Amino acid sequence: MSARQLWEGTDAKPWIRNLNGRTKLVFLFLYAVLMITIDNPRTLYILFLFTLLLHGLAGTSFSKWRVLIILILLGLWGSMLSQALFFARTPRTPLLVLIAPGTPFFGPLTGGLYIYREGIIYGAVQGLRAVSMLSLGMLVCWTSDPRQLLNGMLAWHLSPQVAFMLVTAIRFLPVLAAETEEIMIALRLRDQKAKGPFLAIRHLPYVAKPLLARCLRRSQTLALSVVSRGFFSDKAARRRQQWEGRERWFCLAFLLVTLAVLFSKVSFLLSEQGLYAGSLRGFYDFSSLYL
Amino acid sequence: MRLRYILLAVLLFVWSWPGCAHSALAACRLDAVFPYSMDHRKIEQVQGLSTVPLYLDLVCTDDPEAQTAVLSVTAPDGFELLPKEGWQIAPDRRRGRGVWHMDAGYGRSFDLLYVRALEGTTAGDKEIRIHLSLTGSGPAESDRTVSFRYVPADREDVKTAGTSPPPEGKAAGRGTGKRNAGRFNWYIQSVTLPVDNQGKRDDRSPEGVLYVRDTLLENFRNRMTGEKNNGYSVIFTHPAAHFLLDMRNPQQDIRLLRVRAQLYDQDGHPVPGMMTAGRSDHESGEGWAGETGNGEGTTALISLDGRKMQAFILPLYVDPLQAVEGDYRLRLTVEGNGQQKVTEIPVTLDKKHSLGLLAVGFSFICLLLTLFYLRDTVHCIRTIGARGAITVALFAAVSFGGVTVPTTLLGDVVHALLGPFSTFLTGLLSGVMQYLLILALLMLYRKPGVTALLFLLKFFLNGIFFGRFTPLGILSMAVYIAVLETLLRCSGFYRPEKTSRGHVLAVVILLGLGDALIGFVNLEQMMFFYRLYYADWYIILYMLVNGVLYSSIGGWLGYRTGEKLQQIAGE
Repeated sequence: MSARQLWEGTDAKPWIRNLNGRTKLVFLFLYAVLMITIDNPRTLYILFLFTLLLHGLAGTSFSKWRVLIILILLGLWGSMLSQALFFARTPRTPLLVLIAPGTPFFGPLTGGLYIYREGIIYGAVQGLRAVSMLSLGMLVCWTSDPRQLLNGMLAWHLSPQVAFMLVTAIRFLPVLAAETEEIMIALRLRDQKAKGPFLAIRHLPYVAKPLLARCLRRSQTLALSVVSRGFFSDKAARRRQQWEGRERWFCLAFLLVTLAVLFSKVSFLLSEQGLYAGSLRGFYDFSSLYL
Repeated sequence: MRLRYILLAVLLFVWSWPGCAHSALAACRLDAVFPYSMDHRKIEQVQGLSTVPLYLDLVCTDDPEAQTAVLSVTAPDGFELLPKEGWQIAPDRRRGRGVWHMDAGYGRSFDLLYVRALEGTTAGDKEIRIHLSLTGSGPAESDRTVSFRYVPADREDVKTAGTSPPPEGKAAGRGTGKRNAGRFNWYIQSVTLPVDNQGKRDDRSPEGVLYVRDTLLENFRNRMTGEKNNGYSVIFTHPAAHFLLDMRNPQQDIRLLRVRAQLYDQDGHPVPGMMTAGRSDHESGEGWAGETGNGEGTTALISLDGRKMQAFILPLYVDPLQAVEGDYRLRLTVEGNGQQKVTEIPVTLDKKHSLGLLAVGFSFICLLLTLFYLRDTVHCIRTIGARGAITVALFAAVSFGGVTVPTTLLGDVVHALLGPFSTFLTGLLSGVMQYLLILALLMLYRKPGVTALLFLLKFFLNGIFFGRFTPLGILSMAVYIAVLETLLRCSGFYRPEKTSRGHVLAVVILLGLGDALIGFVNLEQMMFFYRLYYADWYIILYMLVNGVLYSSIGGWLGYRTGEKLQQIAGE
């Protein structure tokens, strides 16, 4: 599977592919709010599973599932590793001492570095937030054409100039990637003696200059073309995709649910700080049990 | 010559005269009070089986030599003296002997000796005899008697004492009355945590939770300098919470007790975290209860004043440097005169992540500032024209393809291998490469709003390709735009006149510092929203390496690249 195919959203089921860009963006944003709000590991896990279920319903291909699983596992692993090192609650059980407190310089600096067992579990639970958003982001990405999302943003009064710039950036990404490859080949040919795995990193500073110079020259040509054709005006990108009423109602309902969850959580946190109201007991119980 | 000898003989005669010897003693005043009240109430009688202090105070003045005072105390029948450090108590516990050293010129010593009534002691007037013997410039002796009235306990009190739990206290020796080995005079009735400094419990605040203040920067500085907690009097003299200690005192004892609060983990091992009150300031030295930060716990003295129930509001001091969040058991030990009572209550240490909240607040301010700056972007696009706008778009594409894509995809792999240290590697892209592009672009179009446009396009690209239209993503972008735009405007970088290398260097370093601030805010936001933990040293190291160092290098490289690009643009 090529990198280009990886970002294309052509093989998804029609029901999700045809969803309005605005619906997808609203869902994505509100889901992110939910993931930030919720603390309960069970609820986080259910929400994470829900994103995987959506992938299943969207007909994500096997190769994309493989990529998704790798990214999720890497994300979870990173979270587990960092929290295993920095876990700052008790009880905590050191499994491994990486830097003893008596080690010169690093010991006093870090106060000792350990891998904590409880931190691994904590990192796995907290990592669910990030990987849920990663999973949902991938779903939106794999099931949407960039124009779909762009149209959604234009419908929300994104500046036409910015929209034009965005389209330019999107359109020229593959071109820039190809040019970078050309420059790297040229640099490699010029520097035949150098070998090793970090060759690309060594060449990196030398890639930037010719690449940016080409960008500059291209912008001159493009600017002439754009201005002469009158693209760079407020009239551009007026076409808007119709936002179906059903999708609108769904977004509104999801917004209300998210606001209710947010209100419940915030009122619960405020009650812990002393701002308690007896009439909100139901919200407090709900937050305590599920959020 | 003869006259001198006569005068010397007269002086020796006068000195050896008994009246003069007595005058040496007359310069010493022994004060004895029984029953003694800690709050200076006048108490006439001793009740029941209570333990009451005998207050002894000896003051010697105008004596050219140091003296040794020997005090012998004899309790009346039916009473016993409790063991006390510095006192020798006879096996029958009725007699005690203490030796005090009195300094020359002015010497003063005082002490409390506890006297306890035994069961079966009859009512009536009693006397405590005190004998003082001074050895110094000349031996002198004196006797004092202290009278009091004894009233036996009523039946109810005896019953209460009899049903009390078995004591940790030691049994006494022989006496005229009966000594009950199972008797214990005072108990911990209950402990309430937390209460306010008036002892009031707020039912809405979680029970058994201690909030520890956030001292990120102080912690780091202490670690780097190897200092303990000295010099942070503001932090260490303010209690984290108060607790209400209800003491039951059925025998109506009057005595001083020591209270110690210590943290224990769930396995019963003591852990550091509690401390005594710190220094009030640099001049007055240590606090009243001992050295700060020795890990022994919070200690305090309480005074039982003879009431059957007494409540004490005591402060709890938490060492923010050593305290770790989590669930513990708070062990309260009350002790005095060989008796000890211990109780444990579950307690949760919770740190106030004020910095996280501050970071989120700062981000929202940045969001407002960004909205303000974004108003300039339309004007900026008009100023830089189609060519400038396309250049910015292409730079954003390069930034997205060269920084965001590899950081997102390879970042996870590097993160999985190196954990949190991966940022030092990925920082080569997000620090060096990012600022190289920003400065190169700014050298071409030195206009307010260009940086904001670049980050805005990057955010949209990130959203479209990775689905990252999240609140955290918006706040993170806002922080970047607000901080960098503000710094560039304040540093005078947008002024039309040509900038010198020195000025650009200063701007680049300023941007590096700004990036350190951005890194700090974003990490704190991550900790706040995603409930993650990062060590203080790691955050500081991240700010220094990924922020100041990488970004400054990238900025300078960008400036040099921008100079070359200016030549191309001018062709």
